[in-house]
Amino acid sequence: MKATRSLGVLALVLILCMALICPPASAHRVIVRGQVNEIQIRAYFGGGSADPMAYADVEIYAIKNGQEELYKTGETDENGMFYFAPKIGVFEYRAVVEATGHRGEEWVNLTEGAGITEAEQEEAEEEAGLPLAQMIAGFGYLIGLAGIAMILTARKMKKRYENK
Amino acid sequence: MVHISDGVLAEWLWGGGWAVTAIILAYALSKMKTEDVPRLSVITAAVFVASLIHISVGPTSVHFILNGFAGVMLGILAYPCIFVALVLQCFLFGFGGITTIGINTVNMGVPALIAYLIFRTGTGLNIRPETKNRASLFGAIAGGVAVVLALLFLAAELLTTGEEFLETTVLVVSTHIPIIAVEAIFTGVIVGFIATVEPELFGKK
Repeated sequence: MKATRSLGVLALVLILCMALICPPASAHRVIVRGQVNEIQIRAYFGGGSADPMAYADVEIYAIKNGQEELYKTGETDENGMFYFAPKIGVFEYRAVVEATGHRGEEWVNLTEGAGITEAEQEEAEEEAGLPLAQMIAGFGYLIGLAGIAMILTARKMKKRYENK
Repeated sequence: MVHISDGVLAEWLWGGGWAVTAIILAYALSKMKTEDVPRLSVITAAVFVASLIHISVGPTSVHFILNGFAGVMLGILAYPCIFVALVLQCFLFGFGGITTIGINTVNMGVPALIAYLIFRTGTGLNIRPETKNRASLFGAIAGGVAVVLALLFLAAELLTTGEEFLETTVLVVSTHIPIIAVEAIFTGVIVGFIATVEPELFGKK
Protein backbone atom coordinates (compact mmCIF):
# COMPACT_ATOMS: atom_id res chain seq x y z
CA MET A 1 0.00 0.00 0.00
CA LYS A 2 2.86 2.31 0.98
CA ALA A 3 4.78 1.37 -2.14
CA THR A 4 1.82 2.15 -4.36
CA ARG A 5 1.42 5.52 -2.72
CA SER A 6 5.09 6.48 -3.13
CA LEU A 7 4.91 5.40 -6.81
CA GLY A 8 1.92 7.66 -7.20
CA VAL A 9 3.78 10.60 -5.64
CA LEU A 10 6.79 9.95 -7.89
CA ALA A 11 4.62 9.92 -10.99
CA LEU A 12 2.99 13.19 -9.94
CA VAL A 13 6.40 14.81 -9.30
CA LEU A 14 7.65 13.65 -12.72
CA ILE A 15 4.61 15.04 -14.52
CA LEU A 16 4.95 18.37 -12.72
CA CYS A 17 8.66 18.52 -13.53
CA MET A 18 8.00 17.91 -17.22
CA ALA A 19 5.32 20.54 -17.23
CA LEU A 20 7.79 23.04 -15.75
CA ILE A 21 10.73 22.23 -18.05
CA CYS A 22 8.93 22.25 -21.39
CA PRO A 23 7.64 25.59 -22.69
CA PRO A 24 3.97 25.43 -23.56
CA ALA A 25 4.50 25.98 -27.32
CA SER A 26 6.35 22.73 -27.70
CA ALA A 27 3.05 21.02 -27.55
CA HIS A 28 2.45 22.23 -31.17
CA ARG A 29 4.22 20.82 -34.16
CA VAL A 30 5.66 23.53 -36.39
CA ILE A 31 4.91 23.02 -40.07
CA VAL A 32 6.85 24.83 -42.75
CA ARG A 33 5.90 24.32 -46.38
CA GLY A 34 7.22 25.89 -49.53
CA GLN A 35 4.82 26.77 -52.31
CA VAL A 36 4.98 28.74 -55.53
CA ASN A 37 1.65 30.43 -55.78
CA GLU A 38 1.64 32.16 -59.09
CA ILE A 39 3.52 33.16 -62.16
CA GLN A 40 3.08 36.74 -63.24
CA ILE A 41 2.65 37.74 -66.87
CA ARG A 42 2.87 41.39 -67.88
CA ALA A 43 1.81 42.53 -71.34
CA TYR A 44 2.49 46.00 -72.68
CA PHE A 45 2.93 47.79 -76.00
CA GLY A 46 6.39 48.52 -77.34
CA GLY A 47 7.57 51.42 -79.46
CA GLY A 48 8.09 54.05 -76.81
CA SER A 49 4.84 54.05 -74.86
CA ALA A 50 4.99 50.88 -72.71
CA ASP A 51 1.23 51.23 -72.23
CA PRO A 52 -0.29 48.15 -70.60
CA MET A 53 -2.23 45.77 -72.81
CA ALA A 54 -5.39 45.71 -70.70
CA TYR A 55 -8.23 43.19 -70.97
CA ALA A 56 -6.35 41.14 -73.57
CA ASP A 57 -6.99 37.42 -74.06
CA VAL A 58 -4.36 35.20 -72.46
CA GLU A 59 -3.60 31.57 -73.23
CA ILE A 60 -1.13 29.65 -71.10
CA TYR A 61 0.37 26.48 -72.55
CA ALA A 62 2.12 23.99 -70.25
CA ILE A 63 5.15 22.38 -71.91
CA LYS A 64 6.23 18.95 -70.68
CA ASN A 65 8.66 16.69 -72.54
CA GLY A 66 8.34 18.91 -75.58
CA GLN A 67 4.56 18.43 -75.61
CA GLU A 68 2.47 21.51 -75.36
CA GLU A 69 -1.04 21.59 -73.99
CA LEU A 70 -3.45 24.41 -73.22
CA TYR A 71 -3.36 24.84 -69.48
CA LYS A 72 -5.24 28.03 -68.70
CA THR A 73 -7.05 30.85 -70.44
CA GLY A 74 -8.05 34.23 -69.11
CA GLU A 75 -7.78 37.96 -69.52
CA THR A 76 -5.21 40.53 -68.40
CA ASP A 77 -6.33 43.10 -65.83
CA GLU A 78 -6.33 46.87 -66.42
CA ASN A 79 -2.57 46.98 -65.81
CA GLY A 80 -1.89 44.29 -68.39
CA MET A 81 -1.13 41.70 -65.67
CA PHE A 82 -2.18 38.08 -65.57
CA TYR A 83 -1.41 35.57 -62.83
CA PHE A 84 -1.59 31.80 -62.86
CA ALA A 85 -0.54 28.97 -60.54
CA PRO A 86 2.01 26.57 -62.02
CA LYS A 87 1.18 22.92 -62.49
CA ILE A 88 3.05 20.39 -60.33
CA GLY A 89 5.96 18.91 -62.27
CA VAL A 90 5.70 21.32 -65.19
CA PHE A 91 8.48 23.87 -65.40
CA GLU A 92 7.99 25.42 -68.79
CA TYR A 93 5.11 27.57 -69.98
CA ARG A 94 4.27 29.60 -73.06
CA ALA A 95 2.04 32.61 -72.59
CA VAL A 96 0.21 34.09 -75.60
CA VAL A 97 -1.46 37.46 -75.19
CA GLU A 98 -3.77 38.73 -77.91
CA ALA A 99 -6.04 41.76 -78.33
CA THR A 100 -7.63 43.14 -81.52
CA GLY A 101 -5.06 41.69 -83.88
CA HIS A 102 -2.06 42.34 -81.64
CA ARG A 103 -0.29 39.30 -80.40
CA GLY A 104 2.79 38.64 -78.35
CA GLU A 105 4.21 35.56 -76.67
CA GLU A 106 6.70 34.75 -73.96
CA TRP A 107 8.26 31.59 -72.58
CA VAL A 108 8.54 31.14 -68.82
CA ASN A 109 11.02 28.54 -67.59
CA LEU A 110 10.90 27.90 -63.86
CA THR A 111 14.14 25.88 -63.82
CA GLU A 112 16.03 28.98 -64.91
CA GLY A 113 14.78 30.88 -61.87
CA ALA A 114 11.47 32.53 -61.30
CA GLY A 115 12.52 36.15 -61.56
CA ILE A 116 13.96 38.07 -64.48
CA THR A 117 17.68 38.72 -64.70
CA GLU A 118 19.23 42.16 -64.90
CA ALA A 119 20.04 41.62 -68.57
CA GLU A 120 16.42 40.70 -69.31
CA GLN A 121 15.23 43.75 -67.39
CA GLU A 122 17.53 45.97 -69.44
CA GLU A 123 16.36 44.36 -72.65
CA ALA A 124 12.73 44.90 -71.64
CA GLU A 125 13.37 48.56 -70.88
CA GLU A 126 15.16 49.00 -74.18
CA GLU A 127 12.27 47.39 -76.04
CA ALA A 128 9.81 49.71 -74.35
CA GLY A 129 11.86 52.83 -75.03
CA LEU A 130 11.78 55.04 -78.12
CA PRO A 131 13.78 53.20 -80.82
CA LEU A 132 15.94 56.15 -81.95
CA ALA A 133 18.62 54.03 -83.62
CA GLN A 134 15.97 52.15 -85.59
CA MET A 135 14.36 55.42 -86.66
CA ILE A 136 17.65 56.66 -88.06
CA ALA A 137 18.23 53.29 -89.73
CA GLY A 138 14.74 53.58 -91.27
CA PHE A 139 15.55 56.99 -92.76
CA GLY A 140 18.77 55.54 -94.13
CA TYR A 141 16.89 52.72 -95.85
CA LEU A 142 14.40 55.24 -97.26
CA ILE A 143 17.14 57.38 -98.77
CA GLY A 144 18.66 54.25 -100.31
CA LEU A 145 15.31 53.13 -101.69
CA ALA A 146 14.64 56.60 -103.08
CA GLY A 147 17.99 56.46 -104.87
CA ILE A 148 17.19 53.07 -106.40
CA ALA A 149 13.70 54.23 -107.39
CA MET A 150 15.12 57.33 -109.07
CA ILE A 151 17.67 55.31 -111.04
CA LEU A 152 15.00 52.87 -112.22
CA THR A 153 12.44 55.50 -113.17
CA ALA A 154 15.10 57.62 -114.88
CA ARG A 155 16.20 54.60 -116.91
CA LYS A 156 12.57 53.94 -117.89
CA MET A 157 12.09 57.55 -118.98
CA LYS A 158 15.35 57.51 -120.94
CA LYS A 159 14.24 54.42 -122.82
CA ARG A 160 10.93 56.03 -123.66
CA TYR A 161 12.72 59.17 -124.84
CA GLU A 162 15.10 57.14 -127.03
CA ASN A 163 12.21 55.23 -128.59
CA LYS A 164 10.57 58.49 -129.63
CA MET B 1 -3.62 49.13 -83.29
CA VAL B 2 -4.06 48.50 -86.97
CA HIS B 3 -0.95 46.36 -87.35
CA ILE B 4 -2.07 42.73 -87.26
CA SER B 5 0.58 40.39 -85.83
CA ASP B 6 1.78 37.01 -87.11
CA GLY B 7 -0.32 34.02 -86.18
CA VAL B 8 -3.60 35.89 -85.73
CA LEU B 9 -5.16 35.45 -89.16
CA ALA B 10 -5.76 32.33 -91.22
CA GLU B 11 -3.30 31.53 -94.00
CA TRP B 12 -5.72 32.20 -96.86
CA LEU B 13 -6.40 35.67 -95.50
CA TRP B 14 -2.84 36.92 -95.14
CA GLY B 15 -1.92 35.12 -98.37
CA GLY B 16 -4.76 36.93 -100.13
CA GLY B 17 -3.51 40.18 -98.59
CA TRP B 18 -0.11 39.62 -100.20
CA ALA B 19 -1.75 38.89 -103.58
CA VAL B 20 -3.83 42.09 -103.53
CA THR B 21 -0.83 44.12 -102.37
CA ALA B 22 1.39 42.69 -105.12
CA ILE B 23 -1.13 43.62 -107.83
CA ILE B 24 -1.73 47.18 -106.62
CA LEU B 25 2.00 47.71 -105.98
CA ALA B 26 2.91 46.58 -109.49
CA TYR B 27 0.32 48.93 -110.98
CA ALA B 28 1.32 51.88 -108.78
CA LEU B 29 5.03 51.45 -109.44
CA SER B 30 4.44 51.31 -113.18
CA LYS B 31 2.89 54.79 -112.88
CA MET B 32 5.79 56.22 -110.88
CA LYS B 33 7.86 59.00 -112.46
CA THR B 34 11.29 60.22 -111.38
CA GLU B 35 9.92 63.53 -110.14
CA ASP B 36 7.50 61.69 -107.82
CA VAL B 37 10.30 59.94 -105.91
CA PRO B 38 11.44 62.74 -103.56
CA ARG B 39 7.85 63.51 -102.48
CA LEU B 40 7.13 59.80 -102.08
CA SER B 41 10.21 59.38 -99.87
CA VAL B 42 9.42 62.33 -97.64
CA ILE B 43 5.80 61.24 -97.07
CA THR B 44 6.95 57.63 -96.46
CA ALA B 45 9.38 58.89 -93.81
CA ALA B 46 6.50 60.75 -92.13
CA VAL B 47 4.22 57.69 -92.20
CA PHE B 48 7.07 55.51 -90.91
CA VAL B 49 7.74 57.59 -87.79
CA ALA B 50 4.14 58.69 -87.17
CA SER B 51 3.43 55.20 -85.86
CA LEU B 52 5.72 55.94 -82.90
CA ILE B 53 3.49 58.76 -81.66
CA HIS B 54 1.20 57.09 -79.17
CA ILE B 55 -1.84 58.19 -77.28
CA SER B 56 -3.14 56.14 -74.36
CA VAL B 57 -6.88 55.73 -74.66
CA GLY B 58 -8.76 53.70 -72.07
CA PRO B 59 -7.52 50.13 -71.99
CA THR B 60 -5.28 50.46 -75.01
CA SER B 61 -2.71 52.51 -76.82
CA VAL B 62 -3.27 54.01 -80.25
CA HIS B 63 -0.85 55.62 -82.66
CA PHE B 64 -0.97 57.73 -85.78
CA ILE B 65 -1.42 56.08 -89.16
CA LEU B 66 -1.39 59.03 -91.61
CA ASN B 67 -2.77 56.87 -94.42
CA GLY B 68 -5.32 59.50 -95.45
CA PHE B 69 -2.59 62.13 -95.55
CA ALA B 70 -0.46 59.83 -97.73
CA GLY B 71 -3.43 59.24 -100.05
CA VAL B 72 -4.15 62.94 -100.51
CA MET B 73 -0.49 63.82 -101.08
CA LEU B 74 0.52 60.90 -103.27
CA GLY B 75 -2.55 59.46 -105.03
CA ILE B 76 -1.92 55.91 -106.21
CA LEU B 77 1.67 56.13 -104.94
CA ALA B 78 0.29 56.12 -101.38
CA TYR B 79 0.18 52.33 -101.74
CA PRO B 80 3.94 51.80 -102.19
CA CYS B 81 4.47 54.49 -99.53
CA ILE B 82 2.45 52.54 -96.97
CA PHE B 83 4.01 49.24 -98.03
CA VAL B 84 7.57 50.51 -97.52
CA ALA B 85 6.64 52.19 -94.22
CA LEU B 86 5.08 48.95 -92.95
CA VAL B 87 8.09 46.86 -93.99
CA LEU B 88 10.40 49.21 -92.11
CA GLN B 89 8.09 49.35 -89.08
CA CYS B 90 7.91 45.56 -89.01
CA PHE B 91 11.64 44.89 -89.21
CA LEU B 92 12.88 47.87 -87.20
CA PHE B 93 10.17 48.41 -84.58
CA GLY B 94 8.63 44.94 -84.46
CA PHE B 95 5.15 46.28 -85.31
CA GLY B 96 2.76 43.79 -86.88
CA GLY B 97 4.22 40.66 -88.42
CA ILE B 98 6.18 39.56 -91.47
CA THR B 99 3.42 37.36 -92.89
CA THR B 100 0.84 40.10 -92.35
CA ILE B 101 2.66 42.94 -94.15
CA GLY B 102 0.49 42.24 -97.21
CA ILE B 103 -2.84 42.35 -95.43
CA ASN B 104 -1.77 45.31 -93.27
CA THR B 105 -0.87 47.20 -96.44
CA VAL B 106 -4.36 46.43 -97.76
CA ASN B 107 -5.90 47.65 -94.49
CA MET B 108 -4.14 51.00 -94.60
CA GLY B 109 -3.38 51.39 -98.31
CA VAL B 110 -6.81 50.77 -99.83
CA PRO B 111 -8.40 53.37 -97.50
CA ALA B 112 -5.58 55.73 -98.55
CA LEU B 113 -6.60 55.28 -102.19
CA ILE B 114 -10.26 55.85 -101.26
CA ALA B 115 -9.20 58.99 -99.40
CA TYR B 116 -7.50 60.18 -102.58
CA LEU B 117 -10.68 59.52 -104.57
CA ILE B 118 -12.71 61.55 -102.05
CA PHE B 119 -10.22 64.38 -102.27
CA ARG B 120 -10.07 64.27 -106.07
CA THR B 121 -13.85 64.17 -106.43
CA GLY B 122 -14.34 66.95 -103.89
CA THR B 123 -11.77 69.36 -105.27
CA GLY B 124 -11.47 68.21 -108.87
CA LEU B 125 -7.72 68.69 -108.21
CA ASN B 126 -8.30 72.24 -109.33
CA ILE B 127 -6.47 73.70 -106.39
CA ARG B 128 -5.48 77.35 -106.23
CA PRO B 129 -4.91 79.68 -103.30
CA GLU B 130 -8.49 80.93 -103.79
CA THR B 131 -9.98 77.44 -103.42
CA LYS B 132 -7.83 76.75 -100.37
CA ASN B 133 -10.76 76.31 -97.96
CA ARG B 134 -12.49 73.74 -100.13
CA ALA B 135 -9.22 71.82 -100.51
CA SER B 136 -8.69 71.94 -96.74
CA LEU B 137 -12.20 70.66 -96.04
CA PHE B 138 -11.88 67.71 -98.40
CA GLY B 139 -8.36 67.03 -97.16
CA ALA B 140 -9.71 66.80 -93.63
CA ILE B 141 -12.59 64.53 -94.66
CA ALA B 142 -10.19 62.27 -96.56
CA GLY B 143 -7.77 62.19 -93.61
CA GLY B 144 -10.46 61.14 -91.15
CA VAL B 145 -12.31 58.71 -93.42
CA ALA B 146 -9.11 56.81 -94.25
CA VAL B 147 -8.53 55.97 -90.58
CA VAL B 148 -12.14 54.87 -90.05
CA LEU B 149 -11.97 52.66 -93.15
CA ALA B 150 -8.70 51.09 -91.97
CA LEU B 151 -10.40 50.22 -88.67
CA LEU B 152 -13.40 48.72 -90.48
CA PHE B 153 -11.08 46.57 -92.60
CA LEU B 154 -9.37 45.40 -89.40
CA ALA B 155 -12.66 44.57 -87.69
CA ALA B 156 -13.86 42.67 -90.78
CA GLU B 157 -10.70 40.55 -90.82
CA LEU B 158 -10.88 39.86 -87.11
CA LEU B 159 -14.34 38.41 -87.78
CA THR B 160 -12.54 35.33 -89.10
CA THR B 161 -10.81 34.86 -85.73
CA GLY B 162 -14.16 34.71 -83.96
CA GLU B 163 -14.34 38.31 -82.77
CA GLU B 164 -17.68 40.06 -82.96
CA PHE B 165 -17.72 42.62 -85.79
CA LEU B 166 -19.85 45.23 -84.05
CA GLU B 167 -18.06 44.88 -80.73
CA THR B 168 -14.61 45.14 -82.30
CA THR B 169 -15.65 48.04 -84.52
CA VAL B 170 -17.11 50.00 -81.61
CA LEU B 171 -13.98 49.32 -79.53
CA VAL B 172 -11.41 50.25 -82.17
CA VAL B 173 -13.30 53.24 -83.56
CA SER B 174 -14.05 54.67 -80.12
CA THR B 175 -10.43 54.34 -78.99
CA HIS B 176 -9.26 55.91 -82.25
CA ILE B 177 -11.47 59.01 -82.03
CA PRO B 178 -8.50 61.23 -81.04
CA ILE B 179 -6.44 59.79 -83.91
CA ILE B 180 -9.27 60.34 -86.41
CA ALA B 181 -9.71 63.93 -85.22
CA VAL B 182 -6.01 64.80 -85.21
CA GLU B 183 -5.34 63.20 -88.59
CA ALA B 184 -8.32 64.99 -90.14
CA ILE B 185 -7.15 68.36 -88.79
CA PHE B 186 -3.51 67.65 -89.69
CA THR B 187 -4.36 66.68 -93.28
CA GLY B 188 -6.72 69.65 -93.65
CA VAL B 189 -4.14 72.12 -92.38
CA ILE B 190 -1.28 70.75 -94.50
CA VAL B 191 -3.47 70.68 -97.63
CA GLY B 192 -4.57 74.27 -96.94
CA PHE B 193 -0.96 75.32 -96.49
CA ILE B 194 0.22 73.64 -99.70
CA ALA B 195 -2.77 75.07 -101.59
CA THR B 196 -1.50 78.53 -100.61
CA VAL B 197 2.22 78.13 -101.22
CA GLU B 198 2.60 75.40 -103.86
CA PRO B 199 -0.75 74.34 -105.37
CA GLU B 200 0.95 72.66 -108.37
CA LEU B 201 1.91 69.85 -106.02
CA PHE B 202 -1.64 68.54 -106.34
CA GLY B 203 -1.49 68.34 -110.13
CA LYS B 204 -3.08 65.34 -111.80
CA LYS B 205 -1.25 62.22 -110.76
